Amino acid sequence: MSRRDLLAGTVATIAYAFVPVSSLGLARAPALKEVLTFTERQSLEAVVSRIIPAGTNGPGALEAGCARYIESALGDVYQSLRKMYSAGLAALDSHATSNGGKSFVALDATEQDRVLSEFEQNIRVGEYSDSAAFFELVRRHTLEGMFGDPSYGGNANFVGWDLIEYPGPRMYVSRQMQTMDAKPPRSRVSAKQLVHGSR
Amino acid sequence: MAPVNLPKTDVVVIGLGAAGGLAVLPLARAGLKIVGLEAGGWFRPEDHLADEIRNNVRHWPHAVQKANQEIPTARNGRDGPALPRSAYHPMMNGVGGTSLHYWGQSWRLTEWDFKVRSETARRYGPSAVPAGSTVEDWPLSYQELEPYYDKVEYTIGVSGKAGNIRGTVDEAGNIFESPRQREYPMPPLRHAGFADHMAEAAKRLGWHSYCPPAAINSVPYDKRTACFYHGFCGSGGCPVNAKNSTAVTTIPKAVATGNLKVVPYAHVIAIDSDDHGRVTGVRYLKDKREYFQPASVVLLASYTYENTRLLLLSKSKTYPRGLSNTHGQVGLHYMSHTRSGVMGLFPFDLNRWYGTPAQGTSLDDWSDDNFEHSGLGFIGGGNLLVPMEAKPIEAASMPTFGKAPRWGSSWKAFVKENAGRWAPVWAQISTLPFEDHFLDLDPEVKDPLGDPVCRLTVGLKESEKRAIVFMHEKAEHWLREAGAIATDKLPLGPIALSTHAYGGTRMGDNPETNVVNRWGFSHEAPNLGILGASVMGTTGARNPTLTVQALAWRTADHLISEWKSIAL
Repeated sequence: MSRRDLLAGTVATIAYAFVPVSSLGLARAPALKEVLTFTERQSLEAVVSRIIPAGTNGPGALEAGCARYIESALGDVYQSLRKMYSAGLAALDSHATSNGGKSFVALDATEQDRVLSEFEQNIRVGEYSDSAAFFELVRRHTLEGMFGDPSYGGNANFVGWDLIEYPGPRMYVSRQMQTMDAKPPRSRVSAKQLVHGSR
Repeated sequence: MAPVNLPKTDVVVIGLGAAGGLAVLPLARAGLKIVGLEAGGWFRPEDHLADEIRNNVRHWPHAVQKANQEIPTARNGRDGPALPRSAYHPMMNGVGGTSLHYWGQSWRLTEWDFKVRSETARRYGPSAVPAGSTVEDWPLSYQELEPYYDKVEYTIGVSGKAGNIRGTVDEAGNIFESPRQREYPMPPLRHAGFADHMAEAAKRLGWHSYCPPAAINSVPYDKRTACFYHGFCGSGGCPVNAKNSTAVTTIPKAVATGNLKVVPYAHVIAIDSDDHGRVTGVRYLKDKREYFQPASVVLLASYTYENTRLLLLSKSKTYPRGLSNTHGQVGLHYMSHTRSGVMGLFPFDLNRWYGTPAQGTSLDDWSDDNFEHSGLGFIGGGNLLVPMEAKPIEAASMPTFGKAPRWGSSWKAFVKENAGRWAPVWAQISTLPFEDHFLDLDPEVKDPLGDPVCRLTVGLKESEKRAIVFMHEKAEHWLREAGAIATDKLPLGPIALSTHAYGGTRMGDNPETNVVNRWGFSHEAPNLGILGASVMGTTGARNPTLTVQALAWRTADHLISEWKSIAL
């Protein structure tokens, strides 16, 4: 790639840097762009629901929309990680199948946890050797979806913030709200709602 | 296509961040005509959202920036393995630069930081300076920089409590600070429950904690509001303009004089020079065209990595090895803070969610030469800081302290109970320059223009490992005294990219070992000045920005008083 190409405007990547700042980045509630196959989506939903299961402490990652959060991002800012997801989800299935003849989604929760634990320990699945890296990636993205701003498709009904008792975003925080025993009333708004006042 | 030649200006400044954005004010007030070339655009307060995914996870707005297309590479030692390449540049482009979203911590360095070599030799003998270190005493003393620290503190607005005014020590402030001429212009940021809790623990240990100074308004200042403490300050810009970035302080004032023209989205590609070795101006790209901005004086004020890269890329007949690099010093004496820390888990709620990191508590009992180092195997030490502000993803991504698995139902129960019960103690450890730590151009990796990116050759010396282990013990001791029931130390490892990167264009009297003179002007190209932490010869144990700004103002003042001899 030469400087001449750039000056002729043929380099898309750098033109991106010249988009006016204010037109970028305001988080919109993303319409889900489907980038996963039906099978991949089912597997991903099964994985996130084991990373943060629903149960005694309230809804889990699936109910929070973490799979939706991840798929939205894979169609957008995490595009470069799309292949890692395909390979990882395929490896989960092939590992599950070779050990009991069932796909990952068909396993019961205990068996799914065992498979995920093996991935966490970086088990090798045939030629596939990225199982721990894949596990860490999904875990990280699941936490983003669970505890991040709800406008990205996760943290539905603020269940992530409720789980950890995060008091929530607000514009002004008083001195009293910062004492160690304070329990500020919960504010349940997205960042955009906070600035623009709309719901 | 030939570049568009623009009318000549007095001074062109490359980069309007913490350094360049500061220097433009004294220059504009002196009546000099300035063109400020900035790779990013203008931000509005409403561009800064309380959105952790955007600010901290996806590093917006870095993600769409010039800097992000030239992320430096790094390797562990000259023959060592490549370190994983960061997905993001640590700094951002924009009018105001990274001062738009930094923590705002605005410490001064101490007298010791300016004469590490001679003071170490005097107290512990010359061999106490680690072998292979290229550290020199600075060509100026703390006392010479003090008036500029004062100017910056009062101009942009820094909140804090003095610990030493002209030699009178006050335990309400930092007793280890070097003497200042007067109190801070604003009181410290508001007290917060957990910060006070940690301060009391420090007091029981006989340590001297204090509210760290910050370029954040604790009270209304200069027609802008006090901090709202909303808790999205780290890597987030301020929606109410209470953070004193150059974008809301010095730059608008400089623009108002009529003497500063800001050129946003200007992508600088080279500094040109003539047969006499003087710089003639700057070439940049904007809207797909190339421009040449001639100037009597060029001030290079991008970040440490880009300062070195632009010089090395600006080759000419006079400077075949890169601009101002006849002595081969460009890129050398590179350092960054070996930031490290210890996390503590408490059996009670800390309510650390809100506030701003600099609102915490800090101490210097174990930094600089504030304690006896004989037999320790290192010099210097670290500042310890307990920050406020815990955003929800960060809080839930906590270490599990060996008490729970990292996922599943029992992890969920663990974070439910503990996400609000842990806190870090960060240690910023002073580091030294070494012969084998440097910046150069990567032989393979290029930016979209086809120019090589900057490459870091870094490592962790034994003396630095000992300092980290020492500081970790102190941090752990502090956490335990405050009631922590478990602690978790960050692993040791070389730091790749850093927001606290120093060197590459070091300041010193000897042109054989330094790029700029004591005033910040090139030893080789007399009308080229360099601003930023790239000129600093030691790191100190605390954030660099205030020192960068004091140096920038001093360089600007020197240019104004010596205009005729520098500009010709």
